[in-house]
Amino acid sequence: MSAAKTVDTAPAVGTAPSADLGTRTSGRRRRRRHDAPIALLATAHVLLIGGVVVALAPFVWMVATSFKQPQDVFTPTPNLLPTDARTGQWAGTFANYLQVLDLGGFAVALLNSVIVVVVLIPGKLLLDALAAYAFARIPFPGRDALFLVVLATIMVPGVALLIPKVFVTQELGMGDSLAGVIVPSLVSAFDIFLLRQFFLTLPGDLEEAAMIDGAGRLRIFWSVALPLAKPALAVVTITSFIFHWNELLWPLVILSDQDRYTLPLALQALAAGRVAQPHLVMAGAVIAVMPVIGIFLVFQRRILDGIQLTGLKS
Amino acid sequence: MNGVHRSSSWHRRRRDALAGFAFTAPAMLHTLVFMLVPAGAALYFSFTEWDMISPAHWVGLRNYQEILFDSDLYPDFWKSVRVTALYALLSVPASLVTGFVQAYLIDLLRRGQSLYRLVFYLPVITAEAAVAAIWKWLYDPQFGLINAGLEVLGGTGPDWLGTPGVVIPALALIAAWQSGTAMLIFLAGLKGIPRTYYEAAEVDGANRWQQLGRITLPLLRPTTFYLVVTGVIAALQVFGIVYVLFGGNAGPERSGLSYVLHLYLFGYRNGAMGAASAMSVLLFVTVLLVTAAQFRLVPQQYEE
Amino acid sequence: MRALARWVAATAAVVSLAASAACGGDSPANEKVVEFWYYQPIPEQSKQVKELVKRFEETEPTITVRLTEIPKDDYNTKLSSALGGGRGPDAGYLDQPLMARYANAGQLAEVPAGTITESDFYDGALRTNKISGKLCGIPLQQTTVALFYNKKLVSTPPATWNELVAESARVHWENPNLAGVNVPKGEGFGAWLFPAFVASAGGTMLDEGSRRIAFADPPAQEALALWRKLLESSPRRITNSENSFHKGLTAMMFSGPWEVLTIRQQFPQLDFGVAPLPRKDVAASNIGGDNGVVFSKARNPDAAWKWLRFLSDATHNAEFSNITGNFPTNRKAAQAAKINTDPALKVFVDQLETAQARPTVPEWIQINDEYLAKAIEEGVDGGRSPADALTDAAARARKLLGWQ
Repeated sequence: MSAAKTVDTAPAVGTAPSADLGTRTSGRRRRRRHDAPIALLATAHVLLIGGVVVALAPFVWMVATSFKQPQDVFTPTPNLLPTDARTGQWAGTFANYLQVLDLGGFAVALLNSVIVVVVLIPGKLLLDALAAYAFARIPFPGRDALFLVVLATIMVPGVALLIPKVFVTQELGMGDSLAGVIVPSLVSAFDIFLLRQFFLTLPGDLEEAAMIDGAGRLRIFWSVALPLAKPALAVVTITSFIFHWNELLWPLVILSDQDRYTLPLALQALAAGRVAQPHLVMAGAVIAVMPVIGIFLVFQRRILDGIQLTGLKS
Repeated sequence: MNGVHRSSSWHRRRRDALAGFAFTAPAMLHTLVFMLVPAGAALYFSFTEWDMISPAHWVGLRNYQEILFDSDLYPDFWKSVRVTALYALLSVPASLVTGFVQAYLIDLLRRGQSLYRLVFYLPVITAEAAVAAIWKWLYDPQFGLINAGLEVLGGTGPDWLGTPGVVIPALALIAAWQSGTAMLIFLAGLKGIPRTYYEAAEVDGANRWQQLGRITLPLLRPTTFYLVVTGVIAALQVFGIVYVLFGGNAGPERSGLSYVLHLYLFGYRNGAMGAASAMSVLLFVTVLLVTAAQFRLVPQQYEE
Repeated sequence: MRALARWVAATAAVVSLAASAACGGDSPANEKVVEFWYYQPIPEQSKQVKELVKRFEETEPTITVRLTEIPKDDYNTKLSSALGGGRGPDAGYLDQPLMARYANAGQLAEVPAGTITESDFYDGALRTNKISGKLCGIPLQQTTVALFYNKKLVSTPPATWNELVAESARVHWENPNLAGVNVPKGEGFGAWLFPAFVASAGGTMLDEGSRRIAFADPPAQEALALWRKLLESSPRRITNSENSFHKGLTAMMFSGPWEVLTIRQQFPQLDFGVAPLPRKDVAASNIGGDNGVVFSKARNPDAAWKWLRFLSDATHNAEFSNITGNFPTNRKAAQAAKINTDPALKVFVDQLETAQARPTVPEWIQINDEYLAKAIEEGVDGGRSPADALTDAAARARKLLGWQ
């Protein structure tokens, strides 16, 4: 079943593909792909390493710049390493990092960002999964119409709704608070879509068995469906984390008090003023990207399982 | 017997309906408050003249009329449409092909897969401001790494971000560089193709190219379709990368003026929020139509 | 299920905690709070502004100033959404060309008579506060653009348009890998600088009194023709390289005082000088900057005006504009300021005397960014004649303004 196809023809409950989750997963782990010959493997490695250079060079430049002194950033011939522009001697420095960490409110901003992701991500996982489960597995009147409404919201350009959304958030008394950052993002149509595709692939007999045992829908959702959805939830976790960790515009318009600033807002000060300070901006970017890499490393195995099981494959 | 059965199924349907509403209620309420109400407001404002700081005046369809037909008041509207269409046409295939090639090669490996996955995903997780700074440097007409590389190969590169005709291809290249998400999704798709298919093909004497064409690509069609649909929606709304690269100037001869950047400039800089709202309604309708057309015209499924 | 309930409760607790933290910090009833919004400066400058606030609060013990720093690029977005939602600050910056829009929307309080002495201020800066004859704000800081030249390539800076063309050509023909001057492009910055050249040729942009568009008249055409001429000896391929002047690839550029700081910090090896903008008939320059305004819904307008008066007075205006990297708007402050001892910065201060204020119609930003910028693009880089390009832009502006 394709993700796409299910949009217009939502299948009835119980017709989900009969793929056996358990054996599929373990089968994939055991299997070595294709048994490619050495020559092909070598070619693949060479091409990939070429790709790595392309993918990595900008990242390396970001890290290198974060260790440069201001006068060594723009050299007549581009210089990857933090060396002195005139003498070519090593001139790397930690000063940029110290300056970033010394930013007024950096620690507070870090804490605020952590609060936002720690509250927001479990919250949206729960709300999105609840809705996605119902859209996928529970027959109820008007279900497809409601789902289409959710889907259509993906196609609305976000910048156009910024001002009305600020008005709504302020009317609800959440202006200038972390709640105003968190609550409006608690539901994501895209994630509901993704999770629904996953729930559609769950085998129906598990639910049937639970129902015969007298379990209600909430119980089935909580103890049967949700544990099986861990891989898909991992996808939502990492994509949401990246998005909200780096998000600038919404917190910017909704927050005024600097004590409530999130990390991207605090780092914005580094790019403020007309004097560009790439060495500081890059140090800030490196600090900001660290947790994202950590999250990616932790969840990447699950992501692969997750994306595969989101109903993209028959 | 029959009656009991009927009543239990009726009970179950009633309980399902209740559960369905209860489960979706929080998300629907949220969608209503934070999406539909603002969207309704934007629709209302699209029929008004409104600068955000004074009361809105009802002007009926005037905004739509002027945006679509008055090239004096909106000289660059159709340009922004062309820019965005070209960007979608170039960037979606560019990032899909790159993502697929990366995934296909990684999938061949015995070891090192997770390292490559991380490296190819790094461009996606790098902050947008850093991405802009990095690419400005790579594309620099005098010192840029890309033109330096082309010179080594004996060619001369263009002034990437300074030549109107080259700006959109340059942006598509950035999109290809950021193809990590497509790579991951393709990789997952590849891993889901049952190995027996390949074994059968090998018995029939098919080589790797034939296997790619007869098994891998057809079976990845649902994956590809999903990526095309979501990729096109995102490309039609492209804003961030253009804004950080060019700011409000939108590049030479405004060749990087994406639709949403144009909308943003009118709404937030020129204070024409009514017109900007009308532009957003037009974009929404267009995206809806394009997506619906894709569902109708593009084969989504591998037909055996 | 229980785990879920516990988790929901915990989440709710954190959210409400976060929300309630938002409401803390109320001040005693007799104390007057002024919430002041301004552009986010770099951290070092931010500390200095807080010092200024402290000194103000010492002289006015009943007033508390609360600062909110907002990135310049997003300032207007945030301010209009806050005011539109009825929750704006008491006072804040307002970019000069935005004055008319906010004043016409009834968002600005008129400056009470006697708050400032108008003759204390530079005329160009003060006039940006006059909307339909009313004074709607106090000029706080201003800036302008001058000619930067590389001393290794240009020994005497050109003083006239003819000298500028000749000098640019000489640099480029002596070494084709170098560009003469960073010719402004058809974008916001170019369109902002353009009026200076138009004025130098004896022209103006709009005649607001007689509701006539003047930027397609011969002086404007001459100004555009000059830029087009300069492009011949200043290929974009060279000037488009980032910081091409700073790296010694371009001999001259038009830019603002912020570049002085950038070059000193990041390009210490560059030997540069600053000269007034070359002139045709009369000396002229452009102006940018920010006014301090009090919003009409301010809770304590009197206290807010006191704060703005403090920032603009002869004692503090130089210090304040110095912190933010701009120039004083108060003449007395400018005379006393340290910038007079810095030869590079002194050029800008002197040039402010001839600064031309932008038109005060609320649509000016749209005319500037959408129409004029397009005409400059077409007339300089594109193949159109300056007259044609400007005539089209004027027709568009006329339609937008509903003039004639």
